[in-house]
Amino acid sequence: MTNDTDTLSLTMSRQLPASPDEVFDAYTDAEKQKIWFSILDTEPGIVEIDVDLRVGGEQTAKWGPSRDELFVETQVFREIDRPNRLVTTSTGSTPDGMTMTTEIVVTFEPHDDGTLMTVTQSGFPNVEMRDFFTQHAWVGAFDRIEAYLTR
Amino acid sequence: MVQQDTLDRTFAALADATRREILARLGAGPATIGELAEPAGMTLTGLKKHVQVLEDAGLVTTAKVGRSRQCRLGTERLDEAMEWITLYQGLWERRLDGLEAFLTLEKGRNNDERH
Repeated sequence: MTNDTDTLSLTMSRQLPASPDEVFDAYTDAEKQKIWFSILDTEPGIVEIDVDLRVGGEQTAKWGPSRDELFVETQVFREIDRPNRLVTTSTGSTPDGMTMTTEIVVTFEPHDDGTLMTVTQSGFPNVEMRDFFTQHAWVGAFDRIEAYLTR
Repeated sequence: MVQQDTLDRTFAALADATRREILARLGAGPATIGELAEPAGMTLTGLKKHVQVLEDAGLVTTAKVGRSRQCRLGTERLDEAMEWITLYQGLWERRLDGLEAFLTLEKGRNNDERH
């Protein structure tokens, strides 16, 4: 795994109305995850979550509209610094058999009576790909990638 | 569809300057092996080897047109890499939206209990 400056990464932040302790707990607890993972779903579907919250332990989340259309994500915990930071290696598998492994760093910072939660997922393509796109425009793909990088 | 080894092949193919030049040239439109070899100052055999690597990585497609072989950009690999980023983006939006809704509900419940 190369470091963040060498990889294409996805970063998202959200201000949440609870303390870092409460957010960390809601984010990592299996029962709470089952509630919030589908809390906004309008259609009923399958959500299964197992968590073994220790370094080297795994969290597996399976979800989808039916048994035949499940997306599976397995995260292995690499670093657990409660309630500040969580580092995992994630392997995602789609129903049609695609798999991809990436690294996820989640931070929880106290901010404005709540918590600023920031997710950085890296390891999609490598530096050669990024350099290629910074040098050559290629059928609009550069714009799409840049949109993700600057979010 | 995308597998880690396929992606590795794609990125390895992109790691070579000559191959990136070939892709940049094909970005302007399809070209034959001969048309690609001339400005690169390469032999047809040398050029064919690079095109083969690009073709194996899914970055270029080739087709026989008359007596020559025409090359064009294949964007399938790139689209698959983008598919993953889009997929994860949706997943994180779902997670953060869900967490926010859950924590807002919890907060409301705690406030109600206090009053």
